[in-house]
Amino acid sequence: MQPLLAIAWLTWKAAFRFRLFLVVAVLLLGSVVGLPLLIKDDGTARGFTQILLTYTLGTISALLGLSTLWLACGTLARDIEDCTVQVVAIKPIARWQIWLGKWLGIMSLNAALLALSGASVYGLLQWRATRLPADQQKVLRNEVLVARGSVKPASLDKEIQEETDRLLRERLQKNPDSRADIAEARKQILEQIKAEYQVVPPGYMHLWQVELGTAKQIARGQPLFLRLKFNAADKSSSGTFDGRLRVGVPRETPLWHSEVMSLAPDTFHEFEVPANYDDKGVLTVAFLNANNTSLLFPLEDGLEILYRQGGFGLNFVRGLGIIFCWMALLAALGLAAASFLSFPVAAFLSLGVLTLALSSGTISNAVAEGTLMGFNSETGRSGHSVVDVVAIPVFRAVLGVINLAKDFSPIDALSTGRCVTWGELGRAFGQIVLLLGGGIGLIGIIIFNRRELATAQVQ
Amino acid sequence: MSVTLKSILPLSLIVALLAGAGLVQQSLNRDRDQLGLTRVQPLENAPPVLAFTTVALGGFRGLISNALWMRATDLQDEDKFFEMAQLADWITKLEPHFVQVWLVQAWNMAYNISVKFKESSPGQFPDRWRWVKAGVELLRDDGLRYNPNETLIYRELAWFFQHKIGQNLDDASMYYKQQWANDMAKVFAKKKPNLDELIHPQTADQKDRARLLRETYKMDPQFMKEVDERYGPLEWRLPEAHAIYWAALGLEKAKENPTKIKEDDLITLRRVIYQSMLLSFQRGRLVSNPFAEAFEFGPNLDIIPKVNFAYEQAAQEDEKNRDHILKAHRNFLRDAVYFLYEYNRLADAGQWYKHLATKYPDKMLLDGKTNSLPANLTLDQYAVARVQGDVSDSGGHDRTKGIVEGMLVNSYRSMALGEDGPAAGFRLLAQRVWSAYESGIPKERHSAIGLNPFEDMDQEVRKRMLDSKEGEPPEVRAVLRTKLGEPPETSAPAAATNAPPEKVSNR
Repeated sequence: MQPLLAIAWLTWKAAFRFRLFLVVAVLLLGSVVGLPLLIKDDGTARGFTQILLTYTLGTISALLGLSTLWLACGTLARDIEDCTVQVVAIKPIARWQIWLGKWLGIMSLNAALLALSGASVYGLLQWRATRLPADQQKVLRNEVLVARGSVKPASLDKEIQEETDRLLRERLQKNPDSRADIAEARKQILEQIKAEYQVVPPGYMHLWQVELGTAKQIARGQPLFLRLKFNAADKSSSGTFDGRLRVGVPRETPLWHSEVMSLAPDTFHEFEVPANYDDKGVLTVAFLNANNTSLLFPLEDGLEILYRQGGFGLNFVRGLGIIFCWMALLAALGLAAASFLSFPVAAFLSLGVLTLALSSGTISNAVAEGTLMGFNSETGRSGHSVVDVVAIPVFRAVLGVINLAKDFSPIDALSTGRCVTWGELGRAFGQIVLLLGGGIGLIGIIIFNRRELATAQVQ
Repeated sequence: MSVTLKSILPLSLIVALLAGAGLVQQSLNRDRDQLGLTRVQPLENAPPVLAFTTVALGGFRGLISNALWMRATDLQDEDKFFEMAQLADWITKLEPHFVQVWLVQAWNMAYNISVKFKESSPGQFPDRWRWVKAGVELLRDDGLRYNPNETLIYRELAWFFQHKIGQNLDDASMYYKQQWANDMAKVFAKKKPNLDELIHPQTADQKDRARLLRETYKMDPQFMKEVDERYGPLEWRLPEAHAIYWAALGLEKAKENPTKIKEDDLITLRRVIYQSMLLSFQRGRLVSNPFAEAFEFGPNLDIIPKVNFAYEQAAQEDEKNRDHILKAHRNFLRDAVYFLYEYNRLADAGQWYKHLATKYPDKMLLDGKTNSLPANLTLDQYAVARVQGDVSDSGGHDRTKGIVEGMLVNSYRSMALGEDGPAAGFRLLAQRVWSAYESGIPKERHSAIGLNPFEDMDQEVRKRMLDSKEGEPPEVRAVLRTKLGEPPETSAPAAATNAPPEKVSNR
């Protein structure tokens, strides 16, 4: 352990010697203090807090990520190029210990910088929150500076698939000689059945029964938040549709009714409602469609129940924890690249990989469409190319690897008051640090171990 | 050549070339502007940071603007609006002379984003109003600052006032009007707008309010007065007046750059003016309701001659849309006659009825009634038929009774508000509707479908309105009693039991 710590300490010393720590710390603190002065928000306390969290944490991640890559590439590649590593390598210390020691050094620097900037953001938020009027503070404490868990109605996917298969079988039995495209017919039946679950005709009521599960205990005595979204079959001149909400079951639980509300389609609406769930912890929500057109509540995100699961402080720490995991991966990437490349090439390669990971939208589209040739939405057909045979599986694999790190969105969760759970943090550690970082680190260590250090000497 | 000379020569050359480039640059810029070779013109009124950014980034600012636009679209799809104001600010600042960028971003905020928000409590839409205001501010405070001569921006700004705030398409439109009236109340010190005191402010308060008008709302009181004289009298607490102001200012700016302006742009500006004038005629007067502590809208009848002139002028200038304009003009004249009649300005009503008859002698006055030509109807018949139209279609005793009673209620309410003109007008109209219905039914059917005598109906309505339990609010009842010469109410003891009342209200 001592050799590892010694190398880590050397990395710290180098960071201070080259003023890197100081420069990055000033930049981070400057962004935390300066951004709120420059950014234009939507005029609400909630909007300001959300934009502040998004921009400050986004800037911290970007600055810290770039400095991590830079430092990781520089600290190893430069040591090799100016032969410093030869002095270290002749000591009783294994190559893997040098590599890992540098990684530890970079990560401990990151931990210090992240803690410093994170604490500043947290302090700034709390300070600003206390200066707001009482009603705005309430909104912030309930909806943004909070860790909200979420429950959705039970998935109906199994029932829908079974019903689809049953109907398809029936139709095929009735028309055994049919030459219809079976896959297309099944798709259409599936959509019809889904529509039955989603569509609310004019004057009808849509009912959801949501089992709160463990959330029942946590949410007791606290308001819940309904998050609703619907699509409309037609346009309205005002751009909105009328609806009324009811929470609870008549004669079984207390009932809550909203007024008739003017709501826009294709967007999420949040309502604070009382926790009128029954003895089994089932919350019944009804929505009355008071329009002349049908409304559609998507099965995936038509309704969600949000409840207060914990405080903002710990949630914020967990969110920073995931950012820290990203930094660990970047440090491993930079060190691995520097294990066999010169500093400029290693930095270029690392930045290239980072850019590829950040712009995975194109890859994702190609995988979703099953071709590189694009999808024609008018004809409903995709193009086809021989290259697809190789490219699509490769893209799928690349996307799978990228998504191991990209699946997490702590900044988004923190700015919208969603809970970053311990499980999520654990998963992030497993996927990003151990699996991806570990894999890249292992490759880096093996290469570094086999490298002839003296050949890299620069005149 | 000495080392010193070697250094001085290139330096002198650099200085000379830079000076030459500086001299040529001015004429180059002028030529580029005249020949329309580039949109990248020097920014006017730009803060140093923006001027530097736009010059330093050169062509790349378009790329950055595109990237920001894509982010804005993605965020909007995900319902994350808190960043939109900032992104719109950056996008427009990166492309400050690209007018469509301003228009699209402002429209997006005022129309698309605003309706995404629900009411915070019944009838209250502060979140929507914030976004409508953001759209207006983007155009007014920044768009016009960098593009002071772009007619399209004036047209869009005027349209926001006319359509988004002025019309009733949005469920929150009444809230918008109320908020705008509140904003304007700060400028006009909660009293009837007096532009002279803002043009030549004397007191500190007047100076503050004049500054507020100029600096926050970017309006010139002198030009407001000109607009008021040309198109008014206008109610400056209502959005239509502001729609007219910005459209009129757009027309003025167009005169400064006649070569760059398309005729179609001018037509759209004029259209905003006469359409807003029509809106102003229909409900461009604020009536203070002290009982509800709120404003109500009434028609602005004094503006009729100018609306008429605006329509006739537009029809003359816009050949392409002349038929549509004349149709709208005829509708306006029909409304003008009816509103004047309703407000008991019978002489004016008669004069405009004559104008209508002269201008459109062969057009029907009542929709679907082929014989309702001006020559076949008197003013009285037209006014009653306007109210009666759907009554005679359904042939309804109940509906006629409802209309007569409704008119009487309106008459008494106008009386309570001190609006004596409409009070008399509504009463007259009620009487004419009653007479027209009564004279239209056969005598033998009178007992079956006839109405009660008009005086009885009037007494019944009056009694209901003055009823202490189910009538109008106490303040309204007190005013009505005074005006009708009735004795004040005696306060009855509160009911001691839950027993049903002896009399059942007729309402």
